[in-house]
Amino acid sequence: MGESLKDKCAIVGIGFSEFGKRVPKSTMTLTLEGCKRAIEDAGLAKEDVDGLLVALPSAEGERHGWVCRVGSFLGISSTFSAGLDIGGATPIAMVQLATMAINAGMCNTVVCCYGWQNSPMGIPLIMPPGLDFTTPYGDFAALPFKAHVARRHMHLFGTTSRQMGAVAVTFRKHACMNPQAQMYEKGPITIEDHQNSRMIVEPLRLLDNAPITDSGGAVVVTSAQRAKHLRHRPIYISGMGQAHSGEFMRPWRDPRYPEGTFEGGKAAEIAFRMAGISHKDIDVAQFYDGFTILVIIELETYGFCNPGEGGPFVEEGRLELGGELPSNTAGGLLSEGHLMGMGHIAEAVRQLRGECRERQVNDAEVAFVSGYGGSPHEYPISFSYSTLILTR
Amino acid sequence: MVGKFEGIDIPKPTPTLTEDSEPYWKGCKKHKLLIQRCKDCGHYRFPPSGICPKCTSTNTEWARVSGRGKVYSWTVFHYLYHPAFSKDIPYNVAIIELEEGPRMHTNIVGCSNEDIFIDMPVEVVFEDINEEIALPKFRPREKQQ
Repeated sequence: MGESLKDKCAIVGIGFSEFGKRVPKSTMTLTLEGCKRAIEDAGLAKEDVDGLLVALPSAEGERHGWVCRVGSFLGISSTFSAGLDIGGATPIAMVQLATMAINAGMCNTVVCCYGWQNSPMGIPLIMPPGLDFTTPYGDFAALPFKAHVARRHMHLFGTTSRQMGAVAVTFRKHACMNPQAQMYEKGPITIEDHQNSRMIVEPLRLLDNAPITDSGGAVVVTSAQRAKHLRHRPIYISGMGQAHSGEFMRPWRDPRYPEGTFEGGKAAEIAFRMAGISHKDIDVAQFYDGFTILVIIELETYGFCNPGEGGPFVEEGRLELGGELPSNTAGGLLSEGHLMGMGHIAEAVRQLRGECRERQVNDAEVAFVSGYGGSPHEYPISFSYSTLILTR
Repeated sequence: MVGKFEGIDIPKPTPTLTEDSEPYWKGCKKHKLLIQRCKDCGHYRFPPSGICPKCTSTNTEWARVSGRGKVYSWTVFHYLYHPAFSKDIPYNVAIIELEEGPRMHTNIVGCSNEDIFIDMPVEVVFEDINEEIALPKFRPREKQQ
């Protein structure tokens, strides 16, 4: 094993495009706007950037050579570039790869970016390509699979819809302290609002799901040495991990679960070991929350509680600001908007910089961030977990 | 979204046969559920692929399986993702676990959505779609069978 990468690199810039339910700009423009703002936030010029990583856009036809095209449009000459796709786990994976590339001497300052236009040319992509073993049965997109997972979790552990609702209510409350959040204007919601929201795919209701968001965003990663001389205090990358499996459909081997059902544990285990800290040291967390049930599962699989305890955990208000584990303080995917998980990294950085005003966690020094993705609707259905531990 | 596509007659999506999946779908058309079995370690795998995920052997046979299984999880769609399913809403999609191990998506037929439960014993039944395709679906099965 090589030398530990703990605290060798830092996040020094964050930036987002205009974002919302419908932003009539191309995937490329959304991407470029995010990059521009992140580079400016770092106090750098584009000439200082020599590494570029992109999350491959989901729209067919936009993928080929995407990273080179983004670089050309930005006017960046990089010595290290790559396009990545592990779904919503990609933004964190980019920060991880940037850290490795910098330490391998490939480059010094890396922009990690994504762009997401849900309706290119005004055409909604509500029917992503499924595969032959799902779509003939009327099964489409990522949400229904999480409905299957939620049903199974309810069966195994007695998890309830109201407990899932508690996640939505908490994160909305946080979004109401974030004027940038997509759901800011909508105001707070109650458990009853959640219970009364329409069923989408049983047992998931409308408020169990993140909204559709057109957006672009980026973070800038550089060496710890260089980070000390930039605009903001460096936010160090202290731990990182990943775990991939065919859980649920093709279970592999996590003995903590009766059936090897949810297998993200390694992603947290590796990150905590690298950072040399434990769960109780986390001051603020940002969990990938495309769906409410996912937060419950992540709390369990990452070891913040035992399998089956995720439901009661969220119901007891521990994720709220002022609670034991203040989480998704900007509102998360559920209420800030679906920023593909880049928003989670950015909010952790803001918290550690102390920029969060009303929603600031007092004296936040250590943040846990997670990403989640994979192939939720194309066989063989498979999943990716990614984690970061950030410190100031 | 429900109602948006009313009056539009759009066919349901049907599988496209590939090098990997052709024997599976040809079996279905004959109303036989064929699943790949590794000739080296005996592991049953689904969906079809060229390599055993348990032992990486490429030595494979297509085995006719029992067609029996149980419901692993299930959902009911209230949101219309595809116009071809507008008349079916609310419809179920289940993941069943075959006795031989593999899990697969399907629809449960022969009972109402309210009567589906986890671990419900089911058996395969084939629905002819066109000259090339029959879809394996599953219906409730008496336990003693």
